[in-house]
Amino acid sequence: MKKRFSVFMLVVLFLGIVNAAGLSGKITIWCWDPNFNVAIMEEAAARYTKINPNAQIEIVSMAKEDVEQKLNTILASGVKKGLPEIVLIEDYNAKKYLESYPGAFADLTKHFNYDEFAPYKLEFMTIKDKVYGVPFDSGVAGWFYRRDYFEQAGIDPSKLDNITMDEYIELGKIVKEKTGKYMQAGDPYDGGLMRTLLQCAGTWYFDEKGQPNFVNNPAMVEAVNVYKKMADSGISKEVTGWNEWVAAFNGGEVASVITGVWIIGSIKAEPSQSGKWGVLPVPRLNVQGAVNASNLGGSSWYVLQNSENRDLAIDFLKEIYAKDVDFYQKILIDRGAIGTWLPAQKGEAYVAPDPFFGNQKIYVDFAKWMEMIPPVDYGIYTYEADAAIMGIMPDVYSGKLSVVEALKRAEEQCKNLIGL
Amino acid sequence: MKRKITYTFIYIILTIAAFISVFPFYWMIVGSTNKSVDVNKGKLTFGTHFLTNFKNLVNNYNLGEVLWNSIQVSFFVVVFSLIVSSMAGYGFEMYKSKGRNYVYGAVLLTMMIPFAALMVPVFKLMSFFNLIDSLWGVILPMIPSVFLIFFFRQNFQQYPKEIIMAARVDGASELRIFFSIVMPSMKATYAAGAIYAFLTSWNAYLQPLVIIQTQKNRTMSLFIANLASGYQPDFGLVMTAVVIATLPTLILFFALQKHFVQGILGSVKQ
Repeated sequence: MKKRFSVFMLVVLFLGIVNAAGLSGKITIWCWDPNFNVAIMEEAAARYTKINPNAQIEIVSMAKEDVEQKLNTILASGVKKGLPEIVLIEDYNAKKYLESYPGAFADLTKHFNYDEFAPYKLEFMTIKDKVYGVPFDSGVAGWFYRRDYFEQAGIDPSKLDNITMDEYIELGKIVKEKTGKYMQAGDPYDGGLMRTLLQCAGTWYFDEKGQPNFVNNPAMVEAVNVYKKMADSGISKEVTGWNEWVAAFNGGEVASVITGVWIIGSIKAEPSQSGKWGVLPVPRLNVQGAVNASNLGGSSWYVLQNSENRDLAIDFLKEIYAKDVDFYQKILIDRGAIGTWLPAQKGEAYVAPDPFFGNQKIYVDFAKWMEMIPPVDYGIYTYEADAAIMGIMPDVYSGKLSVVEALKRAEEQCKNLIGL
Repeated sequence: MKRKITYTFIYIILTIAAFISVFPFYWMIVGSTNKSVDVNKGKLTFGTHFLTNFKNLVNNYNLGEVLWNSIQVSFFVVVFSLIVSSMAGYGFEMYKSKGRNYVYGAVLLTMMIPFAALMVPVFKLMSFFNLIDSLWGVILPMIPSVFLIFFFRQNFQQYPKEIIMAARVDGASELRIFFSIVMPSMKATYAAGAIYAFLTSWNAYLQPLVIIQTQKNRTMSLFIANLASGYQPDFGLVMTAVVIATLPTLILFFALQKHFVQGILGSVKQ
């Protein structure tokens, strides 16, 4: 028995050496946010170097705009030296890079089993049936609400998992009347909610050909209506920028927040509100085919085709991001990061009740909603479209333009911005 | 009476202007003594968290390495930029040739090209010289400063040509004249130039951003941008880092303040 075991150990060792000898070298990774993506990659790197001690991993942490700037410079210059192996790209911008620099990113179709990832994450990283990225964190949206305020207003949350935005605004009026609190806080000129609403309806700013599609897009008409109704109803506390927004719910001024799951860290930053929060599915847009699930933000990993240790980098992503269930539990607990590799969502961290949210098993819910998110092709000009439509909103609020007229102008403006 | 009203008016405007320029500075210092949550809430009074912020900064990041990189970059840029640009300015002013003003005009025109447009070619060039991810790749392109050439030329216009003539008669070489006679007598101009060169290199962002590839070669501006990014940045920490980054500029400015004012005044022809 003992002998057999040592033979087995020898074989394992030998295989280990052979495997390691095949792949060694240094992987350089560019990403942003020292407390989120960088910390998560460090965890992944530590795990991989245990499997393959011949690999060296350097994670370069920089601002998000800087990753984009550097990537553009290096790809536009055509220089092949000093390319990082792996870069993080925001989902809304992914297609821009894939289409602007054909051949720059490695085709990963054969390396990963993409059925195991959340379907909505694949749409924007696929070009002509080739998949170029490894889906990473999710921005699955939730409707975070204050249990205490809702109770005070006499609203029963258990009946709210299938409502529309119109019903949401009506509820907001009740909350305001009964508790004196705003239903939500938001910047009326921020396109985040617009993107969330469009995705729940399974559409985007563009048609299949990549042309701006504002006026003839029922979801967009309805979404602008929602913005207008929201402004008129006075249920939303007007804020500018991230800090004021976070301060509004940390300070207990609002009864709910509709946004991506990544906000949990900021909500939990106010420990005195522990147990007072809960999460519901997002209200859907009142159009045909819309579901009570959506997404806001998120990003994914991409491997550069001409980088020195490309194959090692692919192996690294495969071993950790598509195999290590425990890794996903660890990043959920430590960083509040929800991955989009579905098998990890059966793990224990996902099914644990969260006392901060009144012992609701919030991650079970988020995992469920994540699979319902309608896949949408973000195209390459999301932010240009965002700017065009948000730029016209003042005239919508003041009543100077009707919704249809405003959309017509915004569509023109968007075409100008992208040079069509 | 009318005069009094005018003065009151001027003082009101000056007070507002002074407030606008000092307030961010005040807020930075206050921010460095507060927790991130308080900075978020817009707290404007001093807190007690400076030491905590400072410890977090020093313990979690290699601040010394970052500062040392920035100091090296700024030192070499200041030294070489002053020598190169002042010699160029001197040459343009003192030596007459046919094409002089055309060349000078062409040099000045390059001021209008934003760095963003030069980024890709500069990156290619540095890659050709194998200077990617090296501090020299950051330093070299910053040495020839068009503004400084212009600035020095303006100042040399006032320089009495008779002194140069006299030196020539005494048999001094052109380089000797420049280094032993002209340079020592233009201290104020050089001091002002040094502050300018220091500020631009210390605060340089895009240039190091595209050239530097690894953590260990980062400069202060890249480091701060990284701290301030992210979904939930620690603003107390960021403010502390900004305070530290501002100190060298402040010290240099106060040390050279007297010369700086003279140097700037000197560049105006009277």
